[in-house]
Amino acid sequence: MRRRSSLPVTFLVPTLAILLVLSMVPTLYAIVIALQNRELSAPGYSWIWFSNFADLFTDRRFLNAVWVSVKWEIVTVIATMVVAIGLGVLMFEVAGPRLRNFYCLLFIIPVLLPRVSAAFVWKFAYHPLYGIATYPYRLITGGLIFDPLSKPGTALFAVASVDVWQWGLFFAVIVLKLLETLPPQPIEAARLDHARRWQIHAHVTLPMLKAPLISLMFVKMIESLRSFDLIYVMTRGGPGVATETLDMYAFSQGFIESGKVSYASAMAVLMMIATVITFTMLWKRVQA
Amino acid sequence: MKQYRMRPGRLAAKAILALAGFLAAFPLVWTALNALKNNVDIITRVPKVIFTPTLANISYILGRDSVLTGLYNSAVACGAAVLIGIVLGLPAAYAVARYPNRFAGDIQFFVLSLRFLPPVAVAIPLMVIWLQLGLYDTLPALIVTYSLLTISVIMWLAIPAFQGVPKEIEEAAFVDGYGAYSVFWRIALPVAARSLIGAIAFSFVLVWNEFLIALMLSSSNAKTLPIVASELSQQGMNVPWGILNASVVLLSLPPLLFLGVLSGFLNSVFRQKKS
Repeated sequence: MRRRSSLPVTFLVPTLAILLVLSMVPTLYAIVIALQNRELSAPGYSWIWFSNFADLFTDRRFLNAVWVSVKWEIVTVIATMVVAIGLGVLMFEVAGPRLRNFYCLLFIIPVLLPRVSAAFVWKFAYHPLYGIATYPYRLITGGLIFDPLSKPGTALFAVASVDVWQWGLFFAVIVLKLLETLPPQPIEAARLDHARRWQIHAHVTLPMLKAPLISLMFVKMIESLRSFDLIYVMTRGGPGVATETLDMYAFSQGFIESGKVSYASAMAVLMMIATVITFTMLWKRVQA
Repeated sequence: MKQYRMRPGRLAAKAILALAGFLAAFPLVWTALNALKNNVDIITRVPKVIFTPTLANISYILGRDSVLTGLYNSAVACGAAVLIGIVLGLPAAYAVARYPNRFAGDIQFFVLSLRFLPPVAVAIPLMVIWLQLGLYDTLPALIVTYSLLTISVIMWLAIPAFQGVPKEIEEAAFVDGYGAYSVFWRIALPVAARSLIGAIAFSFVLVWNEFLIALMLSSSNAKTLPIVASELSQQGMNVPWGILNASVVLLSLPPLLFLGVLSGFLNSVFRQKKS
């Protein structure tokens, strides 16, 4: 048996101490800055306590950013799960072992790309005149112009499609692997009862995978918070403020437009509180 | 397995899969092709498949100081952060996996919760802190910041990897008189090596691809490759598209090198679950 050893202490304490310092210092400092009125251009500052927060709730651009962020979460999470489950089930049903391996390799490629690369690849592809993705539209309509990234109604979905391209395909691989871990007996039994293929999945396999699928969705919800790179490269929050998420707005307040670091930090603090509370609650639920 | 006849539904399913596979790979292939084109061959209403290839874009990219500096900065910042992640993350993960205590659950949750923090919320205060310390726009600042990412990710992924090592092997080593530390060095590390390499590769890809923090923590000296690449596009509407495509390809190559390692890692994770 394992004897008493100093190993857990020597291995854990330094790492946890460093992680705590590295995470708590910026977090607490973010709160401190949010209570002041620092600007990048001026060295001095004073304490203004909660007036940054009060200003935020009357800032219509901020409220718009909250709404855009919520829309982004919902659209990307749902579309990713639908694509992942759909393609995962299809691979499980019609692809042999070799073909599965081939598709799995292909489907992992997009998620490995830096978000900046993925954003550029699709920014070219969506170019109204020269893009490869808009080419079929030009071909069919005889040269009409379709510019998804500069229309307020479609810009968010065009950017979201890149996110789903990266994560939906990757999660399809995971759904397939999950399906492969299932015992074959319940599927065989359902088949003997003349259940159709889609019925087997809807009523037998997917319910059996409920817990891992929910965890997967949880991971996607966290990763969807990192939309900044895509939006920064593809639309810069535009057209207008149609794709301006919270991190994009915080960035432009803090750096591009006015250098209001404190104001941006107040926004970041609100985001932090919202996400930490939401995800802690969700995580405890998933674990329970 | 019974062999089924080709029914329309099955055929449609195969077609959808083939289309998805095409969509996964084609945009990248197209970008690589564009990197080899002259600008006149890119700016065409009908996409050109046949063209005279040129290496001008690639040699232009590789000849730019900004790109080479970005490449160097990315390599140093990511390499150092991953190294720190390995040194601090692996032992801690082993301790959580093999010496369960009542805090184990909390520790795992704490490590995961670092991922909930919005990157802006970390980047803004850190920028102010590094400015005050005089370390803003330097590689050490970037390395320390990235270490938070690499340590937590490596730890999170290495815990199940160490748990996957059969306990009997370790117990046998204890019986043979090995100490706790040598069991870690000589047994657990080598046995779990394959999964651990996957975890390490994953953390590298994560920081290599990181954008927001690098953007906020650098202004000129410490710019990483993603920042340099994104700036190339901001030269007005007369974008040198071939050059941009070439820089996208350069930026994407290192993560793609790990494709094999990472897909093997995925397989091993799920094989463990099955058994």
